[in-house]
Amino acid sequence: MVLYNFKTIQVVPTGKDFIDIVLSKTQRQTPTVVHNGWAINRIRQFYMRKVKFTQSNWHEKLSKILEDFPKVDDMHPFFGDLLNVLYDRDHYKLALGQLHTARRLIDKVSQDYVRMMKYGDSLYRCKELKRAALGRMCTIMKKQGPSLAYLEQVRQHMSRLPAIEPNTRTLLVCGYPNVGKSSFMNKVTRADVDVQPYAFTTKSLFVGHMDYRYLRWQVIDTPGILDRPLEERNTIEMQSITALAHLRAAVLYIMDISEQCGHTLAEQAALFHSIKPLFANKPLLIVANKTDVTSINSLSPEDKALLDEMVSEAAKMSGVAPADAKLLTMSTLTEEGVMAVKHVACDRLLASRVEAKLQGRRIQDVAYRMHVATPAPRDRQARPPVIPASVAAAQSRAAAVESKKKTEKDLQEENGGAGVYSADLRKNYSLHDPSWKHDIMPEIIEGHNVLDFIDPDIEARLEALEREEDALAAEAELEGNDMDEDDLTPEQRGLLKQIRARKAVVVAAHRRKKSAANNAPVKPRRADADRTSTTQQMKASLARVGVDATAAVERARARSVSRVGRKRLRSASAAAAADMEVDGSQAPPKKRIHSSKSRSMSRGRALSTAKPIEGTGLKNEAQHNKAIKMHDKMQRRMGKAARRGEADRHIPDLKPKHLFSGKRGIGKTDRR
Amino acid sequence: MATRLQFENNNEVGVFANLTSAYALVALGGSENFYSVFEAELSEHIPVVKTSIAGTRLTGRITVGNKNGLLLPNTTTDQELMHLRNSLPDEVVVQRIDERLNSLGNCIACNDYVALVHPDIDKETEELVADVLGVEVFRQSIAGNTLVGSYCVFTNQGGLVAPNVSVEDLDELSSLLQVPLVAGTVNRGSDVVGAGMVANDWAAFCGWDTTATELSVIESVFKLRDSKPSNIVNEMRASLIDTLA
Repeated sequence: MVLYNFKTIQVVPTGKDFIDIVLSKTQRQTPTVVHNGWAINRIRQFYMRKVKFTQSNWHEKLSKILEDFPKVDDMHPFFGDLLNVLYDRDHYKLALGQLHTARRLIDKVSQDYVRMMKYGDSLYRCKELKRAALGRMCTIMKKQGPSLAYLEQVRQHMSRLPAIEPNTRTLLVCGYPNVGKSSFMNKVTRADVDVQPYAFTTKSLFVGHMDYRYLRWQVIDTPGILDRPLEERNTIEMQSITALAHLRAAVLYIMDISEQCGHTLAEQAALFHSIKPLFANKPLLIVANKTDVTSINSLSPEDKALLDEMVSEAAKMSGVAPADAKLLTMSTLTEEGVMAVKHVACDRLLASRVEAKLQGRRIQDVAYRMHVATPAPRDRQARPPVIPASVAAAQSRAAAVESKKKTEKDLQEENGGAGVYSADLRKNYSLHDPSWKHDIMPEIIEGHNVLDFIDPDIEARLEALEREEDALAAEAELEGNDMDEDDLTPEQRGLLKQIRARKAVVVAAHRRKKSAANNAPVKPRRADADRTSTTQQMKASLARVGVDATAAVERARARSVSRVGRKRLRSASAAAAADMEVDGSQAPPKKRIHSSKSRSMSRGRALSTAKPIEGTGLKNEAQHNKAIKMHDKMQRRMGKAARRGEADRHIPDLKPKHLFSGKRGIGKTDRR
Repeated sequence: MATRLQFENNNEVGVFANLTSAYALVALGGSENFYSVFEAELSEHIPVVKTSIAGTRLTGRITVGNKNGLLLPNTTTDQELMHLRNSLPDEVVVQRIDERLNSLGNCIACNDYVALVHPDIDKETEELVADVLGVEVFRQSIAGNTLVGSYCVFTNQGGLVAPNVSVEDLDELSSLLQVPLVAGTVNRGSDVVGAGMVANDWAAFCGWDTTATELSVIESVFKLRDSKPSNIVNEMRASLIDTLA
């Protein structure tokens, strides 16, 4: 559905302002500095840019105007005709057409001058070409001054037009001036239209809205119409005629039966007959107003006949059976009959719209929305609604007296409003004892979620456990046999003693170890005052777990410091065994050269046979070996003391404190 | 009685509230305005409980319940569960269930006698729904929409179904649920009726945008304030045709 919103059209500047706007934009948004010494190409580029920029600005702004203003031919015929009546369609089209032409001319000028500028051979020529181009564009636009002024006026007027929706449910109120059209409008809607006791108070269309039968209805109040030929009608009347001609609405033809409006009933009837063609195919109602002044029964027979004729004519035109057609009477002053008129009019229009829609194709798509699926019973089970008895009571009471309970919202407003008031969530707890409501219950105790341990049957289970325990105790009492040390045999007693002693030792050792936090370093012997790391200790402890420790003790002894210089059994015998395996001959055992313990003696090729590396300054193998030995010897002390050596990984202090303390972030105090 | 309201400028009332014949759950909001609408209407008759579920405000969409019980997703915290148990009457069984489709309100629609569930829901959940809520359970989809809880809302009196359902489907659903059903919308044409409104046997709450026509369809089909479902076919027919076609 097209929405007719004319309020979004942007302001149309006057011709002079328009030129200023565009030129100052060019000045602001393109470069302004150019030098004679520049390459000619650059100078041409500079001026071309200005011309093109100006042209695109004009183009953009004119396109926006052309786009904003609605096209008369595309609009609903009602708006098309309204525009024609109010602003003169030809004038409107001409103004927009001229802007369109101006846009085209400006484009052309720009194209020509940019082309010419390609031949500009100096800064001066280029500049003159630019001046000429912008000058021509401005001249073109200066000529559009009147069109722009007219369009601005049209825009201002259009933005104030009422938001009439041409296709919705509409009641159209029409009649002679001063018969009470606006009064009716004010009674049924909240439009608040100006009502005055003189003709043509309403000079344009007014729109109001009302609700009836769950629907939103639009009521249009039209200016009064005089009975004269169409050509003589003024703009005010023509608006009414346009609305009558193009809106598919229920038409209320209001008559002033008191003739206070200054027109006799006969004149009003004549007007009805002359504009009759406009009412064709619309629900049409004849409404006699001002019954408070003149009642319908006090009319002369001639006037009555006139009214009856109009009513039957109206019935004929809107396709209502003559029996149903009747004259509606109302008094907008006393409001008598106003609602009846509204209901009849709305019902008539709704009926005719429904009838039209039932003929259409869309009704097929929405027919199911009017279908209420009623269930076929599938079993004998009753499924009654569940409504508390208090609801029915409350409903009957509500009709009598509106009891106002204090809600949370009221409390909130009293206590500082939203964001300040903190509602009590526990207020409505239904607990066994109401005093428990605000008991504080911890969520977590000692890292455990309390609710994980909650057991609804805890009381019963505790009771059962207690009962069981009592029973067991009673049973034990009955039997009365508990273990005693006195019953043991001497043998068992000895064993028990052993076990206890051993346990004490283990516990003590463990405690000692634990007190050192398990990270005691390997102690040198001289620091091992209580002699825990001895071979005896090792032997005893391994024996206790059932391992023969002879070999281990032998090995430890062989490697002890006090025996340095003795021949090492294992290595010699191992080397001999290896040799024997290889060739079986009795070769002299290889002499150990390297002192490093990490080096295995059973390597394939001795290092000592390696030739000294060229450039080390060593004469021969012997010297090389000697150097290695000396190096190893030198390293031994360091190794024993586990000192730091040059090969160790070292992380230097990257930010030494003394170089960085006392400095300022922005300099100075940096002379250290 | 159908009431129009908003939750913090949002019309999806069914997202933030869950209404049954025995209790109402309402989301915790920034102010008491939403809660107070329910409170004023219902608190005389049933408990109206303000709660978050799993720390969120989507109370209506992730819980499902009727007068017999309340099912909560497994994301519900212990504190919320305790709060609900303390607030609801003892007859209402509150149960937290392990269901992969944990937006229970979207996947399950029920009244006090029947429930429609998402076709992919667990077997155990289906049994729990039957046991805790005391209902017959049907695996169903509504016009191809598997989220039955979002696309329909029904009470023991009647029900509203999303508008893309055919007449045959509507009749079939109606005989399954044993309540009169009608296809309609809430909130000016929204088809997620389950999210747009909540209802029980004597009250309904719709989003602020709900039009007068929609509201009167709702009142008629849920038999609120002495209106009958037949009104839709009789008195309101013309208005409906004029708005829809």
